[in-house]
Amino acid sequence: MDLTRRRFLQLSGVGALGAIVFNGCSIPETELEIQSPVLIPEDVVAGGESWYASLCRQCPSVEGVLVRVVEGRAKKVEGNPEYPLNLGKHSARCEAALQELYHPDRLQQPFRRDGATGQNKPITWDEGLNELVTRLKALRDAGQASRVLVITDPLRGHLGKVTQLFAAAYGAQHLAFEPMERVVLRQAIKDVYGQDRLPHFDIGNSAYVLSFGADFLGTWVSPVSHSVAYGEFRQGEGRGRGLLVQVEPRFSMTAASADRWLPVRPGTEGLLALALAREIIAEGLADPDAARALTDGRGIAALDAYGLERVADDTGLTTYFGKERAVQLIQEVAHDFATKRPSLALGGDTAAAHTNGLFNLRAIYALNYLVGSVGAKGGVIFNPPSPIDDVPDTASGAPLSRWQEVAERLQRGEFDVVITRGVNLVHGLPGALQFQEALKKADLIVSFASVPDDTTAIADLVLSEHVALEAWGDDIPDPAPGYQTVGFQQPVVRPLYDSRAFGDVLLAIAPEIGDDLGAALPWNTMQDVVKEGAQRLFALNRGWAKATAPFDAFWVRVLGGGGWWDTTAISAQKAPGASKAPAEPVRPSFAGDASSDAFYLLPFRSHALLEGRNAHLPWLQASPDPTTTGVWQTWVEINQKEAERLEIREGDLVELVSPAGAIEVIVYPTPAAAPDVLSVPMGQGHASYGRYAKKRGANPFQVIAPQKDETGALAWAATRVVIRKTEKRTRMIKLEGLVEARQMEESPVIQVTRGEEGS
Amino acid sequence: MTVRTEWDHKWSMVVDIDRCTGCQACVVACQAENNVPINTEDIFKQSRAIEWIRIERYWEGEFPDVKARYLPAMCQHCGNAPCEPVCPVYATYHNDEGLNVQVYNRCIGTRFCANNCPFEMRFFNWWQPVWPESLRNQLNPDVTVRNRGIMEKCTFCVQRIRRAERTAIQEERDVKDGEFAPACVQACPTGTLVFGNSNDPNSRVAQLMKSDHPRRYRLLEHLGTEPNVVYLKKVDPYLKEEAHNGSH
Repeated sequence: MDLTRRRFLQLSGVGALGAIVFNGCSIPETELEIQSPVLIPEDVVAGGESWYASLCRQCPSVEGVLVRVVEGRAKKVEGNPEYPLNLGKHSARCEAALQELYHPDRLQQPFRRDGATGQNKPITWDEGLNELVTRLKALRDAGQASRVLVITDPLRGHLGKVTQLFAAAYGAQHLAFEPMERVVLRQAIKDVYGQDRLPHFDIGNSAYVLSFGADFLGTWVSPVSHSVAYGEFRQGEGRGRGLLVQVEPRFSMTAASADRWLPVRPGTEGLLALALAREIIAEGLADPDAARALTDGRGIAALDAYGLERVADDTGLTTYFGKERAVQLIQEVAHDFATKRPSLALGGDTAAAHTNGLFNLRAIYALNYLVGSVGAKGGVIFNPPSPIDDVPDTASGAPLSRWQEVAERLQRGEFDVVITRGVNLVHGLPGALQFQEALKKADLIVSFASVPDDTTAIADLVLSEHVALEAWGDDIPDPAPGYQTVGFQQPVVRPLYDSRAFGDVLLAIAPEIGDDLGAALPWNTMQDVVKEGAQRLFALNRGWAKATAPFDAFWVRVLGGGGWWDTTAISAQKAPGASKAPAEPVRPSFAGDASSDAFYLLPFRSHALLEGRNAHLPWLQASPDPTTTGVWQTWVEINQKEAERLEIREGDLVELVSPAGAIEVIVYPTPAAAPDVLSVPMGQGHASYGRYAKKRGANPFQVIAPQKDETGALAWAATRVVIRKTEKRTRMIKLEGLVEARQMEESPVIQVTRGEEGS
Repeated sequence: MTVRTEWDHKWSMVVDIDRCTGCQACVVACQAENNVPINTEDIFKQSRAIEWIRIERYWEGEFPDVKARYLPAMCQHCGNAPCEPVCPVYATYHNDEGLNVQVYNRCIGTRFCANNCPFEMRFFNWWQPVWPESLRNQLNPDVTVRNRGIMEKCTFCVQRIRRAERTAIQEERDVKDGEFAPACVQACPTGTLVFGNSNDPNSRVAQLMKSDHPRRYRLLEHLGTEPNVVYLKKVDPYLKEEAHNGSH
């Protein structure tokens, strides 16, 4: 049989269990076994490679990947060229999925922690599940099902459906957790565009991108997809070079790539957006209907509170650039945004993470109406609903206000059993919530984990979970690329250890808890659930694999291609139009010292470790931060001149003190920081998360005060801190050398060549 | 079928700085593909991190008109490579496809080549590389793990080049432009890195490398090493204005 690459991809969809059919050696003990060529499944060719399409789960955007497998071992992750989101590209995080699979500290079987001694005792799955089922059954029979709390990462696709069905049928509460939730962003998109799903930001076709706080090339929303588009935006063939302006108090990766960086004072992003709106309307460059709606028909008088000079002062631009230039800059941005069309305004991250976050984002996203960029190429393009109607296509973490409520209820002993999966609550919630102590009040904490983290460390029952490369699943991207897309995740290797998939466990225990639960979840495995979803897609009779029949052929084809998508299935929704801008700005408020000795604290997601979920992966720990080149540590970025004034230098250990607590970090003076801002990367500060993450650096969540905006979301950029010097010094570990790297002056090169003989 | 032994290949790379965001995807992709040892905290402390491709970050200007410039840097596969003539055992030499090749089992670790490389793109294994047992499952079987005492550097993923050439031989055709890419180029989300056969005038890389490209330059060009990697300059539409405002 001729085994082409396509055939390899397809084979993964068939076979007795439907999972991986090869019989390769995945652990060293079997390495020396001699295999009979007669018995080896056909897709295992000695020394040959197979590529399997699947999904990457190292960040919430979920890219489509191809995984290279040689003799049963996964060797390389690459972007799936056919997957609409990332078009064959991927991030450093996707590569590291391999290190998650082969992590030396992976849980090899379930264990039970002895409450008295604190010792971990390995147990079998049967023992673990028996305990869980007995407990859940007893509570339910006693009418106390609501005393069970299920906390997962935000789950889209069929795993989301299974989890929701399980929680609903049982009667438990289900909450999703993400450390830097997108509650404000979703609310703003809902308010301004009437959309439940995040829209597609069409950066690739835009001529001018104005981004407020959103580090969209680094970690915001869908960075790989944005980066692919950004390459086109800059030097795409057949189009002019796009201009990028980044309005952000911190010098992020996106600010570093921008043509213009406007370091505004934290929390004043919305103010600037409305000043730009006022200027665009005043210049007569705005879409008339949008201008009328925004100003309530009163003209720019309605926006008097956002006068140029006043906003230049309030945003701090006057302080940095001087009044005249600050005003000029705002005028220039307004003019360019309105004239270099199609233009696109987007906002998030620090712009959203304030007590006035919703005000900021509403003002920012309203700008797109003024330039006709809503629902238009190069602007904001709405996404259609999921092609499979009862499967969640959006998922967001619960806001801080919910976690505060949960912490209080835990403290009052209102939950007996807490089941966690894919979340590290102890690390990712502000320390001020004291969630760890609250969690311990539950009788039984059950944690599904592949590498034990800070939350697993306090769990009573730890159940070893498959990693993504071993499990079935699917995903409906949020945001989708402007049309209906479903990605399929298939196992690419045989499970290494005695682990199980979270979804499979829920399906297995449901009928044991009660017949009604079994009826609500009538599948045996996640593979069945995903396959049923594919059957529904097949029934639609559209999308790229449309003409493939019967279903089995379709199933193999969409699995081999990495998913199903229909480029013609776009959103039919119309934008509701601009609405009236607030007459007066909503000002941000900050926790902590208000004096001039204090700094605004801007924590940021590490480009590799994110909020900490990837801290256990050594490739990512060793991946230099794009701006500081720092690795393996937690540092604080401070303006060089400010550091000189405070007489601190690189390598000094200082404490950052807020009302919520203090952390010790390494000083890194940089030319790219506003004088009143301190930036600290997230990701480190784990008490437990495998050998590469344990007891390393500091966790900024320990100093973030639990401030909220009106949606109840955590305003993680609304804390002010003071610097407390210590006498300690260490070495900042970074790729950069000891001397600050500066660009050399350009000069012509004179080439001396040998002349012709005799000349 | 006649077995082909000679190719009209000159493998070259173009790096469009205007697209680079410094995201590090290329760096990790290279490490995964080429069995580069884990750069632990200790290794970084000793400034001995091995990154066949690295992102160099340069500052320009002062706050608030400060800029960061990203420069992906790898072995430049120089036409006049200073590392080659100093190797006493011919462990490094120039092959007929434009590659500066490192033969690991010839290398005796004199480190003369690294000393002579103006780009600092060669890395010496001061210690035996160590992976925890389970992580060894990930190692790429196509690439040799280098021992202590051996010099290593970017190979333009020669294993991928050879694979593509072998496939082309089997299928009795030439290697097609864009048919394969080194791991860094394959990963690069923004399309900063472009790879191909610069002897083929129709290849994308040859088009971008043209001597009249307005943004073309090569690293340390004045040294005359004739790098086989061409860079395309960052475009800065506001440079003059900021210079006027005194930040440069």
